[in-house]
Amino acid sequence: KDKSAASKDSTPEGAAERQEDGAETPKQQLLDIIGNMKVEVSYRKKLQKLKASENKKQAMNKLEGPDSEGSVPQGITENTQRDKPLNPELVKAASAVASSLPHDKKQAESELLAQLRRHEETTDKLKKGETVNIRNVISEMTVKRQSSAQWGAKLSGRISLQFDEDGQRIRPERSSAQSMDSRRSLKVGKRLNIFTKASTEPEHALKTVSSPTIWDLEFAKEVAAVTAQPPRNGFEEMIQWTKEGILWEFPIDNEVGMEDDAEFHEHIFLEKHLEGFPKEGPIRHFMELVICGLSKNPYLSVKQKVEHIEWFQKYFEEKKELLQEI
Amino acid sequence: MAEAALCWVLRAARQVLPLSCPRQVRSYYVDWRMLRDVKRRKMAYEHADERLRINAIRKNSILPKELQEVADKEIAALPRDSCPVRIRNRCVLTSRPRGVKRRWRLSRIVFRHFADHAQMSGVQRAMW
Repeated sequence: KDKSAASKDSTPEGAAERQEDGAETPKQQLLDIIGNMKVEVSYRKKLQKLKASENKKQAMNKLEGPDSEGSVPQGITENTQRDKPLNPELVKAASAVASSLPHDKKQAESELLAQLRRHEETTDKLKKGETVNIRNVISEMTVKRQSSAQWGAKLSGRISLQFDEDGQRIRPERSSAQSMDSRRSLKVGKRLNIFTKASTEPEHALKTVSSPTIWDLEFAKEVAAVTAQPPRNGFEEMIQWTKEGILWEFPIDNEVGMEDDAEFHEHIFLEKHLEGFPKEGPIRHFMELVICGLSKNPYLSVKQKVEHIEWFQKYFEEKKELLQEI
Repeated sequence: MAEAALCWVLRAARQVLPLSCPRQVRSYYVDWRMLRDVKRRKMAYEHADERLRINAIRKNSILPKELQEVADKEIAALPRDSCPVRIRNRCVLTSRPRGVKRRWRLSRIVFRHFADHAQMSGVQRAMW
């Protein structure tokens, strides 16, 4: 390709030379003719190359059909493409195509093989469903065709804000836009799984795997230690501190660590916890005062209040003999 | 499959790492008195609930007096360092027991030093 480009660059120069040297020696004329021939040959070579590349693409498309079924069982286990050898048929086809090309056969063959490898990579990825095929995305999109009148109306609307009597802006364009969108409904078409997580089946398969071994844990620790580079600037240091818990998260959340899911009635009406106590007597009186105090306490969680009451219950049960003497 | 399990393990390791990794944390307090004060604070925190409840029984006019006497004995049986009265608000930097301003937990000398070097936010020399 470089040679053809060079020869093409030389053609305008050759034409200029020919025009300048009108009355030349016959030798010069011969040389010019040879130069013309070279140009023609190179152009033919370029045409040949174009045809060869088209043929190669056709061949690859033909071969991809039967090959994709063959390479499916190969490509499931691992993602490394370099280790996986290319299909021998593809390689033969590539070498045949390269030999048909005019010059630089080895280079052409290596380029073809590299392209084949890239093709196989993309096909594997598509099978695994990792990459989002742009075709799928674009297939559903259509070009919005607006009449020039609408476009003019939109522009004018933006430039001059039309106000109602109330001072609210007139928006006539909104209804038209919504009507245009409703023609193509939102739920038509294949799901692309860009925003939602992919199917949960692989997650179920993961759960059946046994817990990671000690060696896995060690390896994971090593990797984490290696990847945890020291912070390059103050921002990264602050990020690290926030992750560790040294630095609070901003805007400051006053209720961090305080997850009180209980309703107000669980805080105030604590009489149901008083079932273990005798119904009359000074202890009951005392416990009712305790509960009154707890109900007014906004700083304790329900769990802490219940623990408080249970402590008293335990204490009074231990002192039961003493109390009965009295 | 194996990669996802590894990712999970990596995530767990990253959380575990700060605890298991032996970072050399061997700090010294300013002096032994400060250390003892720290120990007293920890003990007071641990026994705070118990002390509160036993005191609630003691300082009572409803419960019988025998019960209150038993509670007296119980609270006396708790370790001595668990009472909050023994805590002394020392200066955080110099461990000075006196002349400590509560808001900054610093002794007056340290406070003055930092304020003069403009290292105390919002503190200015008084002039009126």
